[in-house]
This record gives sequence, structure tokens and C-alpha cells, in this order.
Amino acid sequence: MLNKVFRMGCDIGGTFTDFVLVNDETGAFSIYKCLTTPSDPSDAVETGMKALETQSPGFISDLAEVIHGTTLVINAIIERKGARTGLITTKGFRDVLELGREIRYDAYDIFSEYPKALVPRALRTEIDERITSDGRVLRPLNDDEVKHVMRLLLDAGVESVAICLINSYENPEHEARVKKLVEEFAPDLSVSASYEVLPQIREYERTSTTVTNAYVKPITVKYLHKLSSRLQSLGFNGKLFIMLSSGGITTASTAGEFPVRIIESGPTAAVIASQHYGRMFGIKDIFCFDMGGTTAKSCLIQKGEAGLVSTFEVGRVQRFKKGSGLPIQVPVVDLMEIGAGGGSLARVNRMGLLQEGPESAGADPGPACYGLGGKKPTVTDADLTLGYLDPNYFLGGSMPLDLNAARKAIDEEVAKPLNTTLIEAAFGIHDLINETMAAAAKTHIAEKGGNPNSITITAFGGAGPVHAYGLARKIGAPRIIVPPLAGVGSALGFFTAPVAFDLVRSHRVVLDEADFNSIEKLFEDLEKESSAILQQSGAVEGIIFSRSIDMRFVGQGAETNLPITNKAFGEWQRHEIRSLFDQAYERLYGRTYPDTRVELISFRMRASLPQRPFQTPRITTSVGKLRDCIKGTREAYSLIHKKFIPFTVVDRLKLFPGASINGPAIIEERESTIVVGEDANAEIDDYGFVWIKFKAPH
Amino acid sequence: MRQKFDPITLEIFWRRLISIVDEADASVARTAFSSLLRDAHDYTCMFTDSQGRELVQGTLCTPGMAGAMAIGVKKIIHSFPYSEYQPGDVIIVNDPWLLAGHLNDVCVLSPVFYKGRIVAFTACVFHHSDIGGRVASDNREVYEEGLFIPPLKLYEAGSLNESVLNMIRWNVRTPEQVIGDIRSQVASNHVCAQKVVEMLSDEGLDDLNDLAEDIICRTETSMRMAIENIPNGQYRYQGLIEGAGSREDIKINLTVDVKDRDILVDFDGTSDQVNWGVNVVYNFTYAYVFMALKSSFDPDIPINEGATRPIQMVAPDGCVVNCSFPAAVAARMQVGHFMTEMVFRALAPAVPDRIIAGSGGTPAQTNIFYGRDREGNPWHTMIIRGGGMGAGKSMDGHHCAIFPANGANTPVEILESDTPLMVVERSLLPDSGGPGKKRGGLGRKMVIHVPDDKLSPLHPVTIAVQAGRFRYPPEGLFEGGHGSKALFIRNGELADPSGLTFADPGDYVEFHSAGGGGYGSPFDRDPEDVVQDVKNGYVSIEKAYEDYGVIITPNSLEVNEAATVAYRQRMRS
Repeated sequence: MLNKVFRMGCDIGGTFTDFVLVNDETGAFSIYKCLTTPSDPSDAVETGMKALETQSPGFISDLAEVIHGTTLVINAIIERKGARTGLITTKGFRDVLELGREIRYDAYDIFSEYPKALVPRALRTEIDERITSDGRVLRPLNDDEVKHVMRLLLDAGVESVAICLINSYENPEHEARVKKLVEEFAPDLSVSASYEVLPQIREYERTSTTVTNAYVKPITVKYLHKLSSRLQSLGFNGKLFIMLSSGGITTASTAGEFPVRIIESGPTAAVIASQHYGRMFGIKDIFCFDMGGTTAKSCLIQKGEAGLVSTFEVGRVQRFKKGSGLPIQVPVVDLMEIGAGGGSLARVNRMGLLQEGPESAGADPGPACYGLGGKKPTVTDADLTLGYLDPNYFLGGSMPLDLNAARKAIDEEVAKPLNTTLIEAAFGIHDLINETMAAAAKTHIAEKGGNPNSITITAFGGAGPVHAYGLARKIGAPRIIVPPLAGVGSALGFFTAPVAFDLVRSHRVVLDEADFNSIEKLFEDLEKESSAILQQSGAVEGIIFSRSIDMRFVGQGAETNLPITNKAFGEWQRHEIRSLFDQAYERLYGRTYPDTRVELISFRMRASLPQRPFQTPRITTSVGKLRDCIKGTREAYSLIHKKFIPFTVVDRLKLFPGASINGPAIIEERESTIVVGEDANAEIDDYGFVWIKFKAPH
Repeated sequence: MRQKFDPITLEIFWRRLISIVDEADASVARTAFSSLLRDAHDYTCMFTDSQGRELVQGTLCTPGMAGAMAIGVKKIIHSFPYSEYQPGDVIIVNDPWLLAGHLNDVCVLSPVFYKGRIVAFTACVFHHSDIGGRVASDNREVYEEGLFIPPLKLYEAGSLNESVLNMIRWNVRTPEQVIGDIRSQVASNHVCAQKVVEMLSDEGLDDLNDLAEDIICRTETSMRMAIENIPNGQYRYQGLIEGAGSREDIKINLTVDVKDRDILVDFDGTSDQVNWGVNVVYNFTYAYVFMALKSSFDPDIPINEGATRPIQMVAPDGCVVNCSFPAAVAARMQVGHFMTEMVFRALAPAVPDRIIAGSGGTPAQTNIFYGRDREGNPWHTMIIRGGGMGAGKSMDGHHCAIFPANGANTPVEILESDTPLMVVERSLLPDSGGPGKKRGGLGRKMVIHVPDDKLSPLHPVTIAVQAGRFRYPPEGLFEGGHGSKALFIRNGELADPSGLTFADPGDYVEFHSAGGGGYGSPFDRDPEDVVQDVKNGYVSIEKAYEDYGVIITPNSLEVNEAATVAYRQRMRS
């Protein structure tokens, strides 16, 4: 391993595939960005690695790790392109998935729409078995019945099966048996059982999570298999890791087993990178803003830590309304989708209003200006028309943009129907997307108790640095930082993410009656299980185990999580555990009730490897003269004066520490373009970060 | 001088106020004891400014509670001399006439102090499934229905008034659960108060009054502008609500008078209050009248006192929708929930695209179960069941929703781990949605088994059904058909849902909730939509033919187009 000095981060988005290669010995970076190849995403991986080879010849055989993030899973769910999935459930409960929790997510809207179940009613089958809530077998499983429903499902062309039986969280015996029968009956079929995906009480949430896992499992497995053989054929013999939604990384085989855990794989990397920068610069509150081709995502990092939540939703029918999506219960970084991306289509809707997204031109055909056959205008087409992008310097000039095609698309599809000028239409597209994102960002920040006036925005993604300035103006953020390689910057997060995996076991017992030694045994089992998962990644030493317990008053329905130190559970005194609970409860809810009994519900284990040291390199450009960095001026649209004015165009690669540029300016690099308006200026630090500050509060 | 807020700042502050109340709301799921709260979400959190004007309410609120609190909290805070409030005071009250119309809805309320002054009142109403008394809907007076709590101080300057708690403890069947839930109410108000103070300090504000003024005025204007879009006129509706068992039907007579930017709803001519438990207090009637107007005309703007200002309501004292003490009120939703639908019916000719047909979740179908487990320990639970929602002009009705109230189902696994009951089935009911160009949503079936094995509870298990639609199904609109009726079945036979049912170990009880009404003629429904419904098992092939006139070939599930066109034509003429 010693001679393997390279690590590569690779993020496949809906539009672009980003690469960052780091040499851990020298700290040197190389990067690359190319269009995603939707029909076989590993094509782009090969393209990128070959391109990187021209910069670092022979690196592939010296590559220790490839760390990978992908939007494949989430896109498959949103676009309903997953496998034809069947469900096997307990007799009487096939409609659990469709009934959901029955709450109306918007109490005062009588016309709310609800997400469609991933498994249609005809493919939800029932078997006559029953486990009671305390885990007894009330009605035994009949093997023949399982085979019978399997035959029905196979005849209906099912490619993947989810198994979710009532009360399996308490006793998984029947589910395990059904899984075994399915595997015997149809060895090639993909199977997901709820006791493995989410062994927790509440049948709807468990079914929804398991079904989603089943729905995306075949394509994920196929894709990861293809990717890893492609990597091998290129000469790679290191380890392949996949980014988890929780901010850790895991092996390809674990990711293939639980694809529901990598749903937010791509955007999580940007958050991990932002967290790293926050620590590096001592910035308390960061608003991580990652705008790619298809979506814009954000995460508020407070006091240096991004929140982790145990439940989230995918595929919301109403983008910004909680409860309008499918619930998934796995650990995930607290991300929020705030808008569309650069490739999102702009159009005039039936009410005669401008509308953007959610449809995206993706990589194929892409925005009109890509000249790949796209005729519909996108946000990128507007950015080009407004002069923010240079048609001859997109991806460093390797992909010339067709300005006329962009103008034509905007004119035909937006300006004419709205009876306005081309430029006003283009500005409308640019401004509306900023406005939409600003509204969502304000909500997101307010919900977390933050204040936009004191946050720093970190901008990522191809379109992030183009729109960060307009977004900051709208929400009142005083400062933006654009990390080096911002256009691929989220891939940097891959290098700082720890190898980690979270596990949970439920075991309900009143504190006064709990056998602490058997709890210790449970924790030890979790340690074994999680270290086995980590060992697949080759690590055997230095695993860090973090334990926590979920407790509540007897009779409550939800728990308070208490992190506990790693000492053997048998060494804890009952009153110590009790007082940990009382302290936490009082802090959260104002009062506690020491005379009321408490019970232990779940035991959690996070196993992780130490965070990998990662040094952001200082830029080597020596102090120079600003005029040497200036490429010229370009007419671009001023958001303040609402007209074209000359912007100074700067080459980011030539910038040196201490350089200061007055707005209006456009700072270009191969993968992205930074817009700085006339009311702001930009400074470069020792590491090549661009710090944009507004000259006066806005 | 009054502080003005620019639109952007106002927007940010407003969002933050909403997120504060939603955070308090979310804390309930983490601290409550009964599944009716933590899982079925039958509670509402809100807070007011220093004057008791409602400022925000939880996004997932129950409209009946929220609307009633907007009126009630203002009155409750004046039950005590304003100047004598101290930090740490907590008030408890369940007077139905001050609040949401029955004893189960207990309000816990606290003043929020900042810099030595009251800046807000935070309040939450929880539906306690157990408030003692006889739980049935056939009581004659409120005295029979449980414990009545006038405004009392549960905490005074932070110290607990044990006597109040003891008084409650000895009047309910499951004191641990009830006391636990009251503590959860105190916790939820604490979360809210803490966040309000945090916000004031972060933003450098002294109080919420100017902000409240701005928010309330803007909301009022928005509501008035929405009302302006309704053609002026007096829209009348007269309807009947079924009496339970053999009781007389209740007549509701209402006029919606729309004049420019104001609405007056008048209940003159409505039945007098009755000698069983469905009488509705003014607040609760108002809440569901308001719900109809808000949801039709201005659903997007968050609710506060401003939204209610343009809507006035009058109802004769002592009528069933403005009942007088000591009327029995426990099952007031059996009448009160109909107010929304009846306002829709009145307005249907004027705004046919803004309303929906009758819904099976009107009224919310609630069941209380209680008894003792085999060791003699008391248990008590309540579930709420929805029905199919009515269809609208451009939308099929949603399956199984609690409308116009709101709430969630109790997960089967939670119900089974909290009680000795078993759930045998919970499924959609085919053919229950009212046929129409747009189909009504489906109702659902729930089958519960009282075990008779070693886990059997002691005899009997008491079941109260507070529901409706057993005799009159949800109606369709504009030639749309009605949804299916509700059914209550015990051991395979239709049973009487009124009063109490005492179930034995081994019994199976079955609840069918009603389907939603259809909208428009079913002969105008796109045959492709009918085929989809058949494929999904929402509509049977037979009903596709009988109700929709669509002829489908059984094996291929394809429409016989020629035959369908011909048949539909014949049926129309």
C-alpha cells in the first residue's frame, strides 16, 4: 500500500462527472470535469481517468482509493426509473404503502397531491402469517404460499422484491424465512427485507424505506459492478468506496446491499468539504450551496457541524412542503433542496408566468447552448446570454458554447410568449431562480434558528459560483467563499470523509430491570458487526466505536438519544444512566420527572476510522501584479443597474495570495465561473480561496 | 414609535416564527405518552403576541382546535389579572365553551417573558383520549362526560400546584398516560418560549407587537383580496345530519353572505341543541366555517388573527351549532365537521372549481377502546380514521383522509404494542369512491380482533364509536355519485354504533369508513382512467359498467370502445 500515493474522488451528477486526484505525498491536485454519460456512467469515468493520466502518467496503478458519489439512486426514484418491484407483506396489509400515515401535510389545502407508491397495488401481495407485537408466532408461515406469491410476482415481471411483515422488528424469523425461500426460488432476483434495511417499529415507514431500497437495488448493483470492472480494466487495483448520505463512506458491496443509504451521496460530499473548510478557517455558521446541472442543494452548518437526521423524504410532490414525499428512515446529513440547477428548463406556464424546472435538460440533449440538439432554454442559456459565461471558455474552451442557439431558445420559448425583450427574458430566468432559491434558503436557515445576515456561503458546483452572488444579495449574506476547484469542489469532501457505518438494535427494557451485562453483549455484537463491515474496506485497526442509547419515560412513544462513553456497559451504575437521561431531558424540555420510570429502547453504534488527514495545499503562484491576471473586459448584465456594463475578466489560475479585485468582475477557471457584482470585491487567500465580500451591508 | 419591517426582513422573521411553533409541535411526538398524540397528531400548538392575538399556528394543526384557540386563548388569558402573571406560570383549562368544544381538548398555556415583560402567550391543545366520565356520545349533559377544568394555575411562578394534578389523577382511568401528556404540553410550551426568547435576542427586538401588527395586517389584506374574487351574493344551504341510532336528524340552515371584502355566515333556522353529545360550541363551529373559506380562497398564506377578521359568524344562542352550558358536547365533531362541507355546498354554484364534494372523513371517525389487561392494568386508546375525500373539478378525491379535521392513523404496530388488541386488516375498500368524472377517494376497512388466547384482556373491552355517515353517505356534486356509507360490524353482523359496545374476547369488530363523493357525471370520465382504477382494484369491472358505462374485457382489461360509446350515449338519453 505504501507506494500507492494517489486517491481519486469521483462524483457523477445528473449533468457532469467531476474528478479530483490528490497525491498524498506531494499534496498536488489534478482535476477534471466532463459530461455525464447517462446510458453508461462508467464511460465518463474512463474518459476522465484517461484525461487525468495525461497530467499524472501512470497514476492508476498507484491509486489507493477511488471514492465515489452518485446521484443515480435519487434520480431513479424521482424519475421513477427503478426496477419493477413487488412487495410481500402480511395478509390484510397490502395497502399500508398506499395509505401511508393519512395525515394531510397541508391542513388548509384541499387540493394537495400525494406521492404515488413505488409499488403499484397489483404487485403488493399478501401471505397469511402473523407475529404478535411481543414477537410470538401467532400464525406460522406456509412455505408453499410464499412460493405461490413468488410465482405471481415473477409472472408479472418483477425484478426486485421487498419483504415487510407486521411486527418483524420484534421477531424477524418469518421475514428471514421468506427471504431464504425467495432466494431459493429465484436466485437472480434482488431481495430487500425490512429487518435488515430498517429494523424499527411503525410499519409504514419501515415498508416505505424497504420498498425504496428494493426499487433501486438492481440498478445500483448493476451500476457499481460495471463501475468496478471498468476501473479494473483500466488497471486500478485499490479500494472502491461509496459516499453514504450520512457523511461516511463504505464499500461498494455494502452500498449495493443498502442503496437507500446512498441516496444523497453526491451532495453530502460538498457538505463534508464545507465542514472541513469551516474548521480550517474557524467559521461558525456556513451555508453550503451546491448548484449543479439538475438541482441546487444546501445545508446549514452550525458551530462547525452539519446536522444529521434519521429520517428524510425523497420525491416531494411539492418541493418545499414537508410530508409530500416518500419517507426514508436512514441517517442522512440534513440537506435541503432549494431549487433547480443550471440545466433546468425555463418555460412559460399556462398562467402566463415564467417557470423553471423541475424538468432538466440533463447532459443529453443539455442546454440549447451545448449544441447537442437541445431546443429549450435553460438557466445556463440565460447565464450565457447575460455575459456571465464565456462561450469560448466553457470547460476551459474544450466545449464551445453556441450563444446564438441560447439566445434563439430564450427568444422563442420565453421572450416572445411573454412579449418582452430577449435580455429581459434572460434576466428573468436568472433572477427567478435566484429568488426561488433565496426563499427556500431563508426558510431553511430560519428553521434551524440561523440568521442569513451572519452566515458565510460556500459555493460549489458548476453553477454555484455563478449564482452565489445573486443569492447572497437576496438573502442578505455578507460573505461568500469559493474554494479552489469549486466546480468540482464537492469531490474534495470525499477525501475528508471517514470510513464509517451506523447500526442500531432495538431492545426494550425498563432501566430498573435492565441486565447491564447483556446490554454490553449487545453492544459488543454491534461492534463485531460494524467492524466486519468496515473490514471489508481493508481496515482492521484503529476503528473508533461511538455508542449511544435511546431512552424515554415508560409510556412515551419516542426517545431521547444519549451518547455514552465507551466503557463496558456493566461498569455503569443505574443512577448514572438515569441522571444522564434526566439532564438531557431537562435541557431539551425544561423539566424532568425523576420519580417517573424510564426505559431503554435502542442501542446505537457508529463505527468509524479516524478522519484521514488532508492538507489543503497553499497556492504556489508567487505574489504578482493584478494586471497580469486580467484577461480583459466583457459586457455582462448588472443585477443592480439592470443593464450591460463592463466586467473585468480574471484568470483564476494566475491569481496570487493577497490579490484583491474590485467588482464588477468575472473570475474564470476551467470548471466554473465566479460572478462578482459592482457592490462587492474579491480577495484571494494563501490557499487560493476566493473571498467575496459586499462593500456595504445590503 | 412603531417599527416597520421591510418585506425581506418580515418574510425571514415570519418564517422563523412558524418554524418555532413547528418545532414545539415536533417536540410533542418526542415527549407525549398516548398514541393519539404522538402518532395520530391530534393536537395543535400556537402562540400569540402579548395581547393574545394569534400570531402563528403549527403547520400540521387540526383546524378545529386551531380556529377555536384563536378565539379562546384571548379570553383565557384574561381569566387572571394580567399584571399578576409571573415567569413560570402555567395555566390549564378544558372548558369546552372557552376552547375547542369538548372536555378531551385540554389547553396548557404560559406567558412568555422577555426583559421583564410579557411578549407572548404560548398555548397548546392536546386531545386527551381519556378525561374520565362516560365516553359515549349519548350522554345528556356535559357533567357525565368527564372532568371539567376551569382556568387554573398548574404552576405558579415555576412551582407545581400538586392539588390540581391530584384532582386530575383521581378522575381519569389511565392517570400515568394523562399526566404524562400534560407534562408533554408543558414541555412543548417550554420549547416554544425558549425559541421565542432566543429569536428576540438574536434579532435585537424588544417584543413581538410591531411584528405581529405587520403580519396580521398583511394576512387580513390577503384574505380580503381573496374574498373579493367571490361574486357578491347570499348563498344558502339547508342540510340534514343523521341522528345516531334512532335519534332525530339535525337540521342545519346556513347563509353565506358575501359582500365585497367581507363574509357573514348566519345559522338562523338551525335545529336547537339536542339531548345527546353532538352539540357544538360557537368556537368550534366558527373554526370549520373558517376552514372552508380559508381552504377555498386563500390556502397559501399562513394563518393568524388577520385571516379571521373578514369572516363573521352568527348563530342563535342555544342552537346546535352555538350550544349553551350544560349541553353534552363530547362528540361535537359529528356535527361540527359538517360545517366545512355545508359552506362548500352553499358556495358550489358561485365557485364550482374551488370546492370539493362530500368526504367520508367528515366527520372524523373516532373509536375509543378501553379496558383492563389480563393482569388488571387499565389501558385506554383512541384512533381516528379518515374516509375518502370528495372529488374536485380537476382532481380525484384522495383516499382515506381526515377532512376537514386533520390527523394521522395510529400504526398497527403501535396499537398492538400499546393495547391487547390485534389488527387483522387495514385496507382500501373497492367501489367505495363516489363515481364521477372525477372519482371520490376510497374509504377503508379496519378489522380489530379481541384476542381470546393467553393474552386476552379481561372482559369487557369497551368501544365507543364517534362517527357518522352510517345513514347518509357523502354526496357527489354536479351529477357525481355519492360515496359508500360507513358500516359498523360485529362478528359479521351490522351493529348499532351509537352508545357503548362491550366486546368479548374472541370478538371481531369491523369499521368501514365512507368513500368520498364524485364530481361531474361518471359518463364523462375518461375510460382510460376507469381502466386504471380497475387495474388498481379501486373499481370493479361490474361497477365500471354500472356506474361509469365503461365496458371492459375481463382478461385483457381493455376498453371495448365502440360498446362503451354506444352504451354511454344510450344511458344519457
